[in-house]
Parts: sequence; C-alpha cells; structure tokens
Amino acid sequence: MAPHLAPNFLRSTCSFSTARLDAMRDRVRAGEHKSLRSMEPPEVLAECDAEGLPWPKRVARMFRRVCEAQYPVVLPGERIVFTRTTPGIPPVYRDDQWKTLTSGRTLHELGPISNICADWGFVLSQGLLERKRIATGTASRLRQDALAREFLEASVETIDAVLALVRRYREKALEMGLTPLAAMLEKVPAQAPATFHEALQALRILHSMVWLEGHYHAGLGRFDQYMWPYLQRDLESGSITMAGAEELLAEFFISLNKDSDLYPGVQQGDNGQTIMLGGVRRDGASAVNELTAMAIRVALYTNMIDPKINLRISSDTDLALLRLAAELTRNGLGFPQYSNDEVVIPALVKHGYALEDARDYTVAACWEFIIPGKGMEVVNTGAVSLPLAVDQAIRHGLSSGEGFEAILLRAAGNIRERVFELAAEYRRLLLPPAPYYSALFEGCLEKGRDLSRGLKYNNFGLHAAAAANAADALAAVRRFVYEERSVSASELLDALDHNFENHEPLLRKLREDGPKVGNEEEANRLMVRLFEFVADACEAIEDNGRGGKMRPGAGSAMYYVWLARGKPGDAGYPIGATAEGRRRGEFFSANLAPSPNATIRGPISVLQAFSQIDYRRICNGGPITMELSDLAFRDEDSIAKCAMLVRTFAQLGCQQLQLNALNAEKLLEAKRHPELYRNLIVRVWGWSGYFCELAPEYQDHVVARQLYGL
Amino acid sequence: MTSGIIHEIREFTTHDGPGMRTTVFLKGCLLRCAWCHNPEGLSPQPQVMRTASGERTAGRLYTAQEVAEILNRQSAILRSNGGGVTFSGGEPLLQARFVEEIIDRLSNVHVVLDTAGYATESAFRRVAAKSQLVYFDVKLVDWEAHILYTGVDNAPILANLRRLSSMDVPFVIRVPLVPGITDTNANLRAIAGIAGSLPGLVRVDLLPYNRAAGGKYAALGMQFRPSWNEAQPVNPDIEPFLAAGVPVNVVGARGPRETTGE
Repeated sequence: MAPHLAPNFLRSTCSFSTARLDAMRDRVRAGEHKSLRSMEPPEVLAECDAEGLPWPKRVARMFRRVCEAQYPVVLPGERIVFTRTTPGIPPVYRDDQWKTLTSGRTLHELGPISNICADWGFVLSQGLLERKRIATGTASRLRQDALAREFLEASVETIDAVLALVRRYREKALEMGLTPLAAMLEKVPAQAPATFHEALQALRILHSMVWLEGHYHAGLGRFDQYMWPYLQRDLESGSITMAGAEELLAEFFISLNKDSDLYPGVQQGDNGQTIMLGGVRRDGASAVNELTAMAIRVALYTNMIDPKINLRISSDTDLALLRLAAELTRNGLGFPQYSNDEVVIPALVKHGYALEDARDYTVAACWEFIIPGKGMEVVNTGAVSLPLAVDQAIRHGLSSGEGFEAILLRAAGNIRERVFELAAEYRRLLLPPAPYYSALFEGCLEKGRDLSRGLKYNNFGLHAAAAANAADALAAVRRFVYEERSVSASELLDALDHNFENHEPLLRKLREDGPKVGNEEEANRLMVRLFEFVADACEAIEDNGRGGKMRPGAGSAMYYVWLARGKPGDAGYPIGATAEGRRRGEFFSANLAPSPNATIRGPISVLQAFSQIDYRRICNGGPITMELSDLAFRDEDSIAKCAMLVRTFAQLGCQQLQLNALNAEKLLEAKRHPELYRNLIVRVWGWSGYFCELAPEYQDHVVARQLYGL
Repeated sequence: MTSGIIHEIREFTTHDGPGMRTTVFLKGCLLRCAWCHNPEGLSPQPQVMRTASGERTAGRLYTAQEVAEILNRQSAILRSNGGGVTFSGGEPLLQARFVEEIIDRLSNVHVVLDTAGYATESAFRRVAAKSQLVYFDVKLVDWEAHILYTGVDNAPILANLRRLSSMDVPFVIRVPLVPGITDTNANLRAIAGIAGSLPGLVRVDLLPYNRAAGGKYAALGMQFRPSWNEAQPVNPDIEPFLAAGVPVNVVGARGPRETTGE
C-alpha cells in the first residue's frame, strides 16, 4: 500500500451527515422525478429528410433536438444536476430507409456504438470548448476531406447542443436563486473543472449525454484514477473535507440511478454503468488511492444498483481492501466484480495491446476488458454454444460407433465452424456514426475520424458459453460409454432423444455419478480443452476486417438461457436433452460455474477448476460466478474469510470473479410477495437488477443456482 | 482400507473453525435433538432428498483414501488461509476408525473435531488426540431434559468432556440456544459452572437458534415438530460465563444486514 494513505483509509463507514442524501435517495427510489418526463421523444425525421442530411448530420440533428427537448430540472437539495426528461431516442431514418441502409450488414447488438469507455480523464482535462476548438481547427486543416468535414461539423453541432442545454440549466439555477450552482454551470463542462465538485458535475452531464445519442452500456472507466487528482487537490488545499467529498460522491452515485430505467438493456438494471477501481497505473505502480476506498465506502452507503463496481486486484492486494470490498458484497448487490491484473494484463499484451494500455484496462458493461479512450472494441459478436458443439459430436459419434477422441475432434470442428460463422457475419459490421461520443475520445476530433471508423484497438469479442455443461457431457460419455461400458451408446442416444422419459435411473446416474467440472479433474481437463479449441479457432482468424482479432471469452451473458431455450420468439429448443443429465429446456451454467444440476463441494474446488484455463488465450472476460449464502457474511470473522477467498482466486491465477451474497429463503419469499421486496437486488449475469422485476425464468434460475454453504 | 458414509464434503464453511475450512459431514447420529437442522445427518444410510428443484441422493460411501485425496488437493490453500478440515456430522465419532484413517492420510492439515461427545471413551480419545481443536456441543446439563430433547443420556457426553480437558487438546464448548429449552438461565448457569472447572477450554460459543432449522425435513419425508415458540427471541445470556471467568462469544452477533436496501 502506498505510504501516503491515511491509516484508516479503508474504514467502511462514511462520515458525512446523511439526512440530505437519505431524502434524495428515497425520492429517486420512489421515482418522483419521473413525473417530470414528457411522454414522447421529439420528431426529427421530417427535417432530416427535407434537408437531405447525411447520416452523421442526422444523428447530430437528432441529438440537438433531444437536448432542446430536455426540460431543466433541479431537484430539491441537488448540488449535482441533470435529470433526463424525454424517453426513447427518435429514429433518424424511416423504416424503409433503415432497411436499405442496413441490408446485408451486421449490427452489433441494438445497433448504436455501445460497450466502450470514453476517455473521461482526457475530456475533463480539456472541457467541451477546447474539444470544439480542436474540431474547428481540424476541419479547416482537412478542408479537402468531405467525410472528415461532415463528421467534424456534426460533432460541433452536438457540442453546441450540450452547451445550450447547460445554459438553460444555469438559467434555471439562477431563477431558483442557486447562485453557486449557476456559477458552476457557467464554467463546466465548457471548461476544464478545477475542483472535485466541478469534475463530478461535468462528468454527470457529459456521461448522461452519451445516452441521448442512442448509445448504451456507457462505462465510467477508472473513476478513482481520473477523479483523484481533483479530489487530492481539494483535500490538500483544505477546500473540502473527507466528509464533504463523500457526500458529493454519494450524490453523484445516486444521480446515476435517476434515468437508468430509460437506458436500453435486456432487463432493467442491465445498463452498463460500471466503474473500475484499483489495480495498477500505466507505469505499473499501485493505483490504489483514497478515492478507491471512498468509492466502495460510499457505495456501501448508497446501496443502489448503479454504479456497478469493479475492483482490480492481484495476489498481493491488501486483505483490508478485500475486506472492505467483501462488505459491499454482503449488501447483496452482486458487486464488486473482481479482475485479476496478474492474469488480465499479460493476456491483453499477448493480444497485441501495448503494456501501458493493458495496465489501463477497464471493463465494458459486464466484464469484457477494454481500454478507455483507445478501444473501439465490439465485445459481443455472439456466443459459441459449447453444449451444442459437443452434443452434436456426441450424438454423431455414438450413432456411428466412433471412438472418444473422434468425438472430441468433431466438437473442435463444430466450435471452429461457429467461430468462423461469427467472424464472417461481423465482417459485414455496420457501426452508425457517433458525432457526440467521438468528441469524448482523443484522436477522433484531432484526426477528423468518427469513432465508428475505429480507434487504436478494434477487436471483436465472443462468448464461449456454458463450458461446464459441455465438459460434463463429454466426461460422462467417456466414463460410462467408453471406459466403464456401463451405459450403451444406443441406450444413451435413446434417452437423449426421449428427454430421459422412462430413463430416470440413467438420468440420475449421469447427474450424480458422472464426473463434474469442479469436482473431478477428468471433467476439468475436458473443460480446459474446450477453451483451447475455441482459442485455436479464434487465433486462426488473422484479421477481423477492422484490423483486430477475435477475442474469446468465458462469459455467457443471457446465452445460458437462450442457448438452452431459444431467444424469446424462437420456435422450439435449440438443443435437446444432453449427456450430463440435463433435460431439454433446463438452463446451462451462467459464465464460469459448474453445471446447474451438479452438486459441487464448494468455492475452492470451483476456483481450482477454472484456474486451469489458459487465460492468456481467453481474454474477452467472463467471470467465475459464485453465490455464497449471506450467512458467510454474518460477522467480521466471516467477512475476513470472504476476503481470503477473493485473494485465493487471485493467487490461483483465475481471471475474473463475481461473488454474490444470496439468501434463498428470502428470494422465495420475494417471489411470493414482490410488493414487500421491491428493493431486493441480485446479480443476474454481468449486472445487478431488482429481483422482482426479473422475468420468472430468471428469478427461478437465480434461486436454483448453486448456493454454497447453505 | 476403511470406508464410511459421508453426506457432504462442503468447502468454505465459515462457522466451523478458524480460517478457511472444508467440512466433512459424516452421516449417522444417535442423538435426536428436537432442533436438529441437519436431518440428513441422522440416518447412516443414503437417502433421497426431494425438493422443488429436483431429487438428489444425500450420502455416499467413500474410502478414507478418496476423502484424503480430495482434501489434500486443497490443503495448501486451507493452510495458507489459517484454516484446515473440520469433521462434523451427523456424529463423526460414530465412524471413528474411518475419520482416524482420513486424518492419518492428511498432509499437514489443521483438524477440528466437531462432536456431540456421545461416543465410547476409546473412540473419543483416539480421534480427539489426532485433532488440533475440538468443538464440543453441550446442550442441556439436566439429564432428564437431555433425554427428553435429544433422546439420550448426557452422562457419557459430560464424561468425555472431562476427559477432553485432561488431554492437552484445546477445545470450545458450543451451546445451541433454543428458546425456552437450552437458553434458560438455569441451564446456562449449569453449563458455565462446568466450563469454569475445565482446563484447556478456549471459550464457549453460544449459537442462537436458526429459524431455518426445519427447512430440510420435508425433503426427507420427515416432520419437524418444534415444541417451542420459534418466534421467541433467544436469550444469549453471557453473564453466567463471565461470572465463571469463561471467555464467551455469541456466534453471528453482528446479525445479517438487511439486503433489501433499506
């Protein structure tokens, strides 16, 4: 730990008086501010068509109109303002135009640029007026480049729109007699902030605007790094106290929860407002500072789903910091999520990232590693269903009398085919222009290049999903059919074809006596091989079409449901019953976790199993996901043990970890009486959400997931 | 090679001893404590548990070597986190030879024996001597009450407790606090009286009754019939212990924080 840190900097209790913030938090939870929203977004299509605007200008116009449609809101007691008052993002093309534009092309997720992280520190250090000055300068330098000029003009239009909106906020503040607020808005985000308060206000506005351009999953990056200089200066000059800083930070965190229901995502809460704490600096020294601990402490107080906290650690991270983090896990919000620097940084370097950039990594909405300001990564091209690749190989092998090695090779072939399919699909990637978001990345305005044309890093990510189920299926087939010969190929095929109807004893045997990832090395080793097949396939693709590579990951996101049951609206199941003793329709494991119906000894075996993956080759992220009973957080002694468990995760060389404190009884009670548990928050995959707002099948899965220690 | 029946090997058991621990739950127990919250530990046979999320078999035969191999794979992790292995149950001393052989095969692992103490002197001495710490349950001092609520006489238990205090193995007395039954002032005073006279005692742990105790009975086709008022708050009275000069600790005293965000 760096020597300048105060001895009690890892304390868990905030020291400000919370009355004002308690009231603010209650009002945000109750959603009072939502009554100030209009029903409809503004209409912009007609004018875009009438003026025959090109795409970037359409986006800029839309952004401007949405900014203009905002009604300035200063809620009671607020010292950091901005509240969104329009829902939705209006289309800039008619359906038929959009169809023509996107025909034959692939859109990433919902279409707009998402899942990246702006260079917040850089933008704050400049202020919007400086960004505008740079854009204008580049435009005059690149007079001959029509494409660049069009982009820069569009970008300037968006900057002006933000500044105009802030002016209206300032007038509102003056009208209300809030002189200090008005004075602050006079300055930021137009100019660089000088204080922690100004920096938070500037960030609140700049970040909120990203959504108004249609983007989503907009991360806040290494918050404790780029905000610390402002706070440090204030603390040193004595212009702010620790308590005062905590209070401002709490208000900022609460503000992130105001508009999040308007943000697109698969389920409420899936909005990607992540912050990353800790780790190392670009020069390799420890990055832990007072703000690292303060952010965790304040999150303990606010206890809301945003921001989602990530913590970078290593095998020698101070146990006291891990204890503080475990306190946060105890709140049941499903974070912090941990990433292991000792594994992640070398993996990024191996994938072509400069060492200094690799040390600067953060995560996208869920867990995908990205470099703030330098990555235009497309992290979620899709999933490789490992259970499907394996199931097809098993069925083919058993019916044609092949040996086990032939089944494995066939599975590898199926995996490669799927990876190549994704790569081919994403060669046709179409990223819409992003004139505002581009202004928040160093280089776009400087070079006259829209973000959508790429940055320093342009890799694609994919998820190799449900590895444990796939490995367990292979391990069961090898043991029972090929080694013990206690199950015949035809019997197993018949059972799989009939969803184990009239094959209950076999189902039980597969579930209870089969080798399982977590419990048995023979299953662990097959799991590791599956990831090798995925990495082999990805590495065979030299260029993804944008000067990047395919990065395989171990996450599953929503795929653990979709790959088992199909996406909403799909006809039929994408896969039937499987050889690990899983009936058709049952979920697969979420992220890195044992098969849902396997009984595993516990977290040590799970960490030991997943530590065997070669993460230098699997670097799109994807956490080991564990639920611990909230009994494991009952007292100081237990919390210290949770900290040890997290340190063990790092010491074993695992990559990423999600730890959730869960009380199964309480969840069942919440299902029965949702009205009493509106604020109950659980981690779902890469994000946390309100339990009672989850669809029933997600609720069931959260309840059914392995409860260690219960 | 000895084999035995285990109903679960569970890692990261945070309340079964110092540091990071893995607990081996041995299946089978002669006591029938009315508040038992591990009913699958009672019968020495495998049993099918039927729950809403499916069926599973609780209980499997293992060889001592098999168990030791599983534990030795993680012994370095347990050791470096100040922990080790706990043998619990059920009643581990009902399978004393099996437990002994597992311990003999462990490589440098801290062992906690978690026992109700109802065992022969020989079994008790042999396993306790191979342990670094003993968690010894004392429920009721009054023998009639003990028979009524646990089904057995407490004389062999209290005799083993006295033997333990002469064995040079540190031990903790654990008292489950069941409202109106074990948490009465009379019972706690009696336990404190015994505890105060035992050299080698580290401390007394009071374990407040867990209302989820009856949770697993239905899955086993059994019935949970508490004769006490489950809603009645327990009486975690540490006074008699302090008076007797015995260190005392109420387990989980900080209480689970409300996770609903309020």
